[in-house]
Amino acid sequence: MPEIDVLLRVARTLVPRPADAEDLVQDTLIRAYRSIESFDGSHPRAWLLTIMRNAQINRTRRRRPELLDDPDAALEQSDEQDEHRHSPEAVVVGASFDAVVVDALDALPDRFRQVVELIDVDGLTYAEAAEAIGAPVGTVMSRLHRARTRIRNRLAAAGLAPRSGTR
Amino acid sequence: MRNWIRRRRAEREATCAEVAQVLQSYLDGHVDDLTARRVSRHLEHCRRCGLEAETYQAIKDALARRGREVDAQTLERLRAFGTRLAEEGRAGEADSPA
Ligand SMILES: [Zn+2]
Repeated sequence: MPEIDVLLRVARTLVPRPADAEDLVQDTLIRAYRSIESFDGSHPRAWLLTIMRNAQINRTRRRRPELLDDPDAALEQSDEQDEHRHSPEAVVVGASFDAVVVDALDALPDRFRQVVELIDVDGLTYAEAAEAIGAPVGTVMSRLHRARTRIRNRLAAAGLAPRSGTR
Repeated sequence: MRNWIRRRRAEREATCAEVAQVLQSYLDGHVDDLTARRVSRHLEHCRRCGLEAETYQAIKDALARRGREVDAQTLERLRAFGTRLAEEGRAGEADSPA
């Protein structure tokens, strides 16, 4: 299995605890070998990411019922409190660009943070990220773009990016 | 002639608003060739959009630098696990009557 390192990186993005991430990859490998007969040989990474996604759904179901969640609306809802928490004067003077990016990333709701990490940190394509989280590509794009815009706005607040100009 | 005009129009460079719409997809390489050409022509001279593009590219670069370090030992264990699964799979095939 040449994709084990990719699987592990993605699992670390999707699952908070490192030990759980390792378990998840093991589960994924077991399932993959079990169904390898039905694999058509194309796009092995996407195939494995789908298997991982299903394995993960199974694990969370075993542990606790899925919380009722929609909503990508969460990002906009938290925007306001956020402006207060991170008003420009609260920003450390001289904070480096990278540090602000990482802080802003960590402050994002999970579903937005995950998409940014899958694509910009782990190097997946939009389509692969969609497989990994079990959402349409359009959802991946919209979360990704909104999340990066948030990061960009944090940078602007810290004086590390131009103030929002383009409307 | 009409075709030529139509093509010229399609090739016309993107406006600021259009760039704002597709900028991130453009930087991710997820737009078609025509759109990419129209956006890059606009970015050649529009300072505002150019800065915006630089900012998003810098964000992507910062995230890529972050990388995700996977624990080498964990990776080793998983590779060994995968190899064992593969061997068991082959052994299983050999055992089963053809
Ligand atoms: Zn412009």
